[in-house]
Amino acid sequence: MRVALAEDGALFRQGLVMLLEAAGHEVVAVEPGGDELLRALAGRPVDVAVLDIRMPPEPDGGLVTAERLRASHPDTGLLFLSHYAESHYLVRILEIGTERIGYRLKEKVGSVDVLSDTLTRIAEGEIVIEPVLARRLVEKPRTDRADVVAALSDRERSVLELMAEGRANGAIAAQLFVSGKAVEKHIASIFDKFGLHADATESNRRVLAVLTYLRSQRGEA
Amino acid sequence: MTTADDPTGRRDRRRDQWQRRRRLERRLHDGAALRISSLALRLGVLDAPREQIDALQGEVASALDELRAVAAGIYPPLLHEAGLGPALLERVRATGADVALDVTDSRCGPAAEGAAYFALVEVLATSDGPLAVTARRDGTDLVVTIAGADPALAAAVADEATPLGGDAHAAAGTIVGRFPCG
Repeated sequence: MRVALAEDGALFRQGLVMLLEAAGHEVVAVEPGGDELLRALAGRPVDVAVLDIRMPPEPDGGLVTAERLRASHPDTGLLFLSHYAESHYLVRILEIGTERIGYRLKEKVGSVDVLSDTLTRIAEGEIVIEPVLARRLVEKPRTDRADVVAALSDRERSVLELMAEGRANGAIAAQLFVSGKAVEKHIASIFDKFGLHADATESNRRVLAVLTYLRSQRGEA
Repeated sequence: MTTADDPTGRRDRRRDQWQRRRRLERRLHDGAALRISSLALRLGVLDAPREQIDALQGEVASALDELRAVAAGIYPPLLHEAGLGPALLERVRATGADVALDVTDSRCGPAAEGAAYFALVEVLATSDGPLAVTARRDGTDLVVTIAGADPALAAAVADEATPLGGDAHAAAGTIVGRFPCG
């Protein structure tokens, strides 16, 4: 896979290049900031761009850079790496795109297998979200604005959690030890309870389900 | 106004303290945290048994979790980058507290936002029941109201507000704190 990287910390940059190369990926550009990355990628498309969120241009250059990259290179996958897993940034990331995009903690992509799996899933169009964040989003919906999520059964909430991690139906079925048909039924029920109808694509409805939960807590639903 | 106590000087020093806290968090993020995260990646390319590497990376991840907890107690990065509303919402989500939030988007400076945030964290930590929190800009002040909390907790809010020249009181079951912006 052809990968580019922007990160302002030199040590982390070097570590990530080592790991990407050990995983057999071609590292096309390594830059200390978003503006430099955009210049480097002008004539050289890559499969996935790896972006630190908190880097120049300050304060959150990764997000600004991603918006520009999505506009100029819509087929390039985007992987955000951060020291913090925050739902605030997840919402902003999903506003940039709901396909070929991921958000993971820096220390959680520290093996060739995990890093390659994350990059492959993104390049194939999936959304990859740090599991700890996906879990936090769908558990403990105790505020009075979470009515919409409180309406879900425990099983539906488990399915939503795995959807939030970007898992496909087959993987959800395997993880929950149920049939693919049962997963489809649960997802249809979640879409129905969230009021997400068939005018959106399947992939968008999945993301909208996660966003509906987030917005329900922000009081925007 | 400038007495032996010099309230203006005291307020300025308090404001400087909040700025220093914000810079300390940034140093943790750019220094120790980044160094330790890059260690996780370097471990990943070591030629060693899988289980050993997993165990070491687990230790590294725990160290980073502890650093994140320390940073959150110094000055949450989201408070600086996105403001009081997003920072409080993240806190409420992470702790599962039963709180309805209605917080202005307008920014009020690191001192007032830091003081209001940590006052609210204190109230949240010592309250069980459902709370309703609002924050509004009123002229040059940030005004925070907390409904549903023990009125005695107004003292905890005052501890953060008064050093900045603000105040806090409880009336009709609602705590009201005023934090001068700047």
